[in-house]
Amino acid sequence: MARTGGSEERKVGRLLGRLLLGVLLLGGAGAWWATAGWFVLNPGEVAVILRFGAYARTVTTEGFHLKIIPSPVETQEIVNVSISQRREFGDVDATDPEVLAETAMQTSDNNIVHAEFMVQYKIGKAFESRYRVADLEEILRDSAQAAMREVIGRNTIDDVLTGPGAIGLDAAELLQQILDGYDSGLYVGSVELQNVQPPESVRDAFDDVIAANQDRNREVNEAEGYANEVLPRARAEATEVLQGAIAYRDAKIAEAGGEAQRFLAILAEYQKAPAITRKRLYLETMEEVLPGVEKVIIEPGTASVLPYLPLGAARGGAD
Amino acid sequence: MRFVLALLALLILAIALSVAGMGPFIVTREGQFKIALFLGDPTAVITQPGIDVTFPFVETRSFDGRWQHLGAERKEIPTSDQERIIIDSYAVWRISDPLLFYKKFPTGMAEAETQINQQVRGKLREVIGRRTLAEVLKEARGEIMGELTAKTAEAVKGFGIELNDVRINRTELPRRTEENVFARMRAERDRLARKYRAEGEEQARRIRAEADREARVVVATARGQAEIERGKGDAAAARIYAEAYSRDAEFYGFLRGLEAYRKTIGKGTTMVLQPDHEFFRLLSRGSERGGPESSGSTE
Repeated sequence: MARTGGSEERKVGRLLGRLLLGVLLLGGAGAWWATAGWFVLNPGEVAVILRFGAYARTVTTEGFHLKIIPSPVETQEIVNVSISQRREFGDVDATDPEVLAETAMQTSDNNIVHAEFMVQYKIGKAFESRYRVADLEEILRDSAQAAMREVIGRNTIDDVLTGPGAIGLDAAELLQQILDGYDSGLYVGSVELQNVQPPESVRDAFDDVIAANQDRNREVNEAEGYANEVLPRARAEATEVLQGAIAYRDAKIAEAGGEAQRFLAILAEYQKAPAITRKRLYLETMEEVLPGVEKVIIEPGTASVLPYLPLGAARGGAD
Repeated sequence: MRFVLALLALLILAIALSVAGMGPFIVTREGQFKIALFLGDPTAVITQPGIDVTFPFVETRSFDGRWQHLGAERKEIPTSDQERIIIDSYAVWRISDPLLFYKKFPTGMAEAETQINQQVRGKLREVIGRRTLAEVLKEARGEIMGELTAKTAEAVKGFGIELNDVRINRTELPRRTEENVFARMRAERDRLARKYRAEGEEQARRIRAEADREARVVVATARGQAEIERGKGDAAAARIYAEAYSRDAEFYGFLRGLEAYRKTIGKGTTMVLQPDHEFFRLLSRGSERGGPESSGSTE
């Protein structure tokens, strides 16, 4: 009885032991999952999952995620792919000559400009940015400067000073190309030339060119102002002259017409009584003319006195 | 049961050994190469990520297989015309053959970087040294960088290294050359400024001259037209007068003569007259009848 009882006890003990082992194993597994079997993605983040170090998959949806096998078999690398980062290069207004010298760049026409620029970028491919390239920061820094220097080196100083937008676009394109060559997974948003200046020691000469350009425009504007003043005046004069002439023409014609009418009217009367009209006209005219005239009446044959005639005295005597 | 437990114990031991980096399981991550050494001899070279099985009690070495940035110190480099140019450069490289790399540089990356830098410097001297300063400045950086990259890549081939590229970053001119550049820049700007001012004068004078010409032409054209109009007026008037006066030319002459007297004779005129003048006829002959004119007047 005791034997059988003992075997029964042993059976129960073994069962209990197995149960305990099972609970322990399950508990251990549960604890493993609970601590290392999940991760949470915030908005804008992606997770690169490696299984035994090899790429398994990329998770891009935000929220809570369970892994198929907990760490360390499956590990996740969480990368933010939405935050745009800015990096500034150079300070054109720096007083430290060494800092200023770093901004100096050569143009294609062997001039020197000082350029200050900004690069905006973000991580485009999470996997590449983590597992294909080391020293991401240094690579970005040197590549950006090399790209900007190369683009400026392909352009003349006037292109650089007058078209910083185009330079920025070209530099962004070249930088993207360079970074792609390193499998960096970086995405270049934009490169902007923020400040470009000629070197300090020749800046006055550059300013003078700007002033000369303004002088040119001013001169042209003034000349155009002059033209705008002279031409209307000339047209005004032309109009006056022409209108004057037309007035003369029309007046002449009108007067002639009037005078002709008058003559014809008198002529009509004259033809009715020519002798008497003639006489009347003559006498009327004399009446009109003679009162104001100094008159000296001399008999014919006394012409010899004429040379001695004191016209001034005669005039006095006649009054 | 005992067998299972023994297996479990072995597995746990193997895992413990592996975690310590002694095999037999070797986990290689992305971007990593591993070499397993048994008593100093390489037994496995792993270039693919994942889990591999090899012997236990090995020694593993890890290598970074990703692209590495290597900045070079700024160097003053002589050109073929004995000028000097200061050049900053950087190289991007990675390990391509871990075993060869390990043999070449058993102590690791720092040694490799020193070697690469030395090669870059040498090739930079070679590439720049064959050109004059003007050529270096003039020639596209791309071309120089291409040549530099090709030559350096060739030189480091035996290192188990892959060179992506060598890029020239900052170039600085020696002080004296820089002064020359500034002088030339100044001269160019002065030329431009003078050109702009002269162009301004040119354009302004042209605009003024054109305006003056146009104004003169406008006025002169109007004057010409005015003469034509006056002529028309005179001609029309003459025609009208001629038409009317030709009805009786003699009477017109008489009438016009009288009109002329009215206008020309007046105050301040002195006339010397004879008593037998037409006007004085009555004065000298009294009231006697005579002449056809007086007979007309009685009508």
